[in-house]
Amino acid sequence: MGTTISLEQNAAAAKAAAENLTERFSDAGMTVEVIAHSAGKKFEFVRITCSPSQWRAVAKHLKHELGVNHCAMVTGTHYPEGSAERGWEVAYHMHRWPIQDVAAHTMTVHKGESLQGDDIPMEFEIFIPLEAGDSPSVPSVQDLWVGADWNEKETWDLVGIDFEGHENMHRVLNPHDSPTGFHPLQRQHKIRYHDFNEMYDDPQGFDRKPIDEGRVK
Amino acid sequence: MSETGENYTTFNSRTLVEVVGDVTDEALKATKIKQLLSVLAGRFFNWAGRKSLFTLHLGIKCCAIEMAASATPRFDGDRFGVLFRSSPRQSDVLLVNGPISKKFADPIVRLWEQMPEPKYCIAMGECAISGGPYYQSYNILEGVDTVIPVDVYIPGCPPRPEALIDGFGKLREKIIRIGGAPSTGREGDKPIIVGDD
Amino acid sequence: MAEMWITMGPQHPMTHGLWTLRVKVDGETVTDTEAELGYIHRGVEKICESRDFTQITPYCDRLCYVSAMTWAHSYIMAAENLLEAEVPERAEYIRLMAAEVQRLASHLMWLGAFGPDIGNLTLMTWCLRDREMFLDLLQELGGSRMHYNYPRVGGVKRDIPIGWANRLKAKVKLFENRIKEYEMLLDESTIWLVRLQGVGYATAEDQIDAGVTGPNIRAAGVNVDARWTNPYSVYDQVDWEPAVEKPTSVKGADCYDRYRVRMEEMRQSCRMLLDAIEKIPGGANTHYQPGDEMLITKAPTRAPEGATGFSTYECTRGVSNFYLQGGGDGRGKNPYRVSIRSPMFITIPYVAKTMIGYKVADIPAIMGSFDPCIGETDR
Repeated sequence: MGTTISLEQNAAAAKAAAENLTERFSDAGMTVEVIAHSAGKKFEFVRITCSPSQWRAVAKHLKHELGVNHCAMVTGTHYPEGSAERGWEVAYHMHRWPIQDVAAHTMTVHKGESLQGDDIPMEFEIFIPLEAGDSPSVPSVQDLWVGADWNEKETWDLVGIDFEGHENMHRVLNPHDSPTGFHPLQRQHKIRYHDFNEMYDDPQGFDRKPIDEGRVK
Repeated sequence: MSETGENYTTFNSRTLVEVVGDVTDEALKATKIKQLLSVLAGRFFNWAGRKSLFTLHLGIKCCAIEMAASATPRFDGDRFGVLFRSSPRQSDVLLVNGPISKKFADPIVRLWEQMPEPKYCIAMGECAISGGPYYQSYNILEGVDTVIPVDVYIPGCPPRPEALIDGFGKLREKIIRIGGAPSTGREGDKPIIVGDD
Repeated sequence: MAEMWITMGPQHPMTHGLWTLRVKVDGETVTDTEAELGYIHRGVEKICESRDFTQITPYCDRLCYVSAMTWAHSYIMAAENLLEAEVPERAEYIRLMAAEVQRLASHLMWLGAFGPDIGNLTLMTWCLRDREMFLDLLQELGGSRMHYNYPRVGGVKRDIPIGWANRLKAKVKLFENRIKEYEMLLDESTIWLVRLQGVGYATAEDQIDAGVTGPNIRAAGVNVDARWTNPYSVYDQVDWEPAVEKPTSVKGADCYDRYRVRMEEMRQSCRMLLDAIEKIPGGANTHYQPGDEMLITKAPTRAPEGATGFSTYECTRGVSNFYLQGGGDGRGKNPYRVSIRSPMFITIPYVAKTMIGYKVADIPAIMGSFDPCIGETDR
């Protein structure tokens, strides 16, 4: 009670951030929208759609000008039935929180109502659609946010999206000796026992042999 | 007496141990005392060891929290002799309490092999029995019994601490029956499933 | 001086879960570390693509198993964003109470595991005994001690039983005295102070850059908490404050600060619970039948292609996000993509780097004070 952000503060901050971005990147190819969550408190956030070639410039602007300090999530999705321009998509979710210039050995107790300008927390969602094909790739932002490091490793490991400029890329969740090119979250890989009917024959998998590896049934 | 061609003129402690061991072995083989001793001692060790099961301190997933809860004052597994040891070399029971992924299949087999005989395995929870809710996953084995032999299955997701203590009780009954048998020779044994009364 | 790599391997009493920490030591001092995760990677994101929105809730319970209610709540918020569902206020209050009781249980589990790391085995028995009090309350709501499957898209599954609020009040009042007992045991213990103070420094800006959130950041002197920065549920109507600690040193927060923050958070959770019992609409001692409009609204079950839902939630260990995309199998009955952000996935590599320069004996203290939970790390 008392420390929370109000809807008006949030709306004003979203609008200011969106205007700042549109003004800076008003050339073609990038869209900036202010969208409200459709449930809960219905707060607004900023959604940016840009192309991979613009991503580094947008990321630097977000970090240095708008104070985005938390790279929360990097999601890769595979759209085998998507259009030619959107066969893959990388979604970055970022937060801006009032943790700038924190003096050492002090305690900062922010009161939500008194936050202004760039201190107001804001969520940013960046979509980067990639062309359909076998080698989707996005420039890495590992040097801008340390938090993007392992997120990008995980996205490559599970989905197969390449991050250009990412140092020391390696498998984090799958075993290190997984076959090269095996990225389980791509849509052509199906889960075991894809339909329930398959389960009744051999539910425990006792008749499965090593040659059945990777086969659904 | 020694195949390595030891020079018995230098009489050190290793030589003494070998000589005594060889002589005693030959003497026992000549009489029936060795058989008598192994039957008596086996039964005796089963009887003594069943209430003193040292479990390996291995916590894989959610069932490990129920395993920890069963060691706490409300359920108190310690009064049944269940003590957790950190090293596999010092434990009797491997309590598998979570799904085994492909990355962990090799370490768990190595942990099992590092445990000295007689050793027992309890599969706790659905993930260890059959893969559980992740039976369709690309990375989870369908049950730990695909890689190591299991003696007692405790179903539940997660099984209550009382069920785990009951599982140890069922394991004790099994030990009285076949305690000393090596773990590789128990495959034909009917599996014990807690709750199957 | 010869340096060597030691593997604190997947099976290790200190690691609170299954992961490997390889440390390079020069005598007793740690010079480099490497963390290896993925030993319980279950592919939950892939499995959820073949599940209904209601069927995904049990999977989210099992992500971080010591704080199942908060993870299920986080997922349900994202699903409600995706499906555009409203939630009645009584249901929000019930969810808040369940989440805060879960936060208490989770912090107690943390303390019960952290104490033995430092050598204080009494804490394990005390904390797990007190945790049982709260697990009983959650069992009345959800049916099981650990995985409740309780929130539904649009509300909650069933109402709080009659008398639950009275039991909660009595237990919270008892627990507030217990917190004083814990502090009496620990804050006056020289061993505890010596092992925790001066160890594992981390500043707020480094942490947020690395993506570390939650009590770890609040220990470094900034009161950033997703319950007020990205408001959700009814946290703006109950009486509470984010628990924040002033770091004792200019070098940042040490393990002692992180321990103090969690004790303070437990106090704030108690405060929130007592306040929520007074404020719940419909009264705390009335019981509505499951399906009543006070508890759940009829929500759409299909999400069209192109719809997305995203939630920012303060879980017990940090900020968790769910990102759902609609339009999957069954004409939108299943999600097309479920993406989970776990706070610990980012924190553990960061903590591995924090350990450099300290002794090997400080590793359990640093590791435990960041409160790792591997279930959510390797989804």
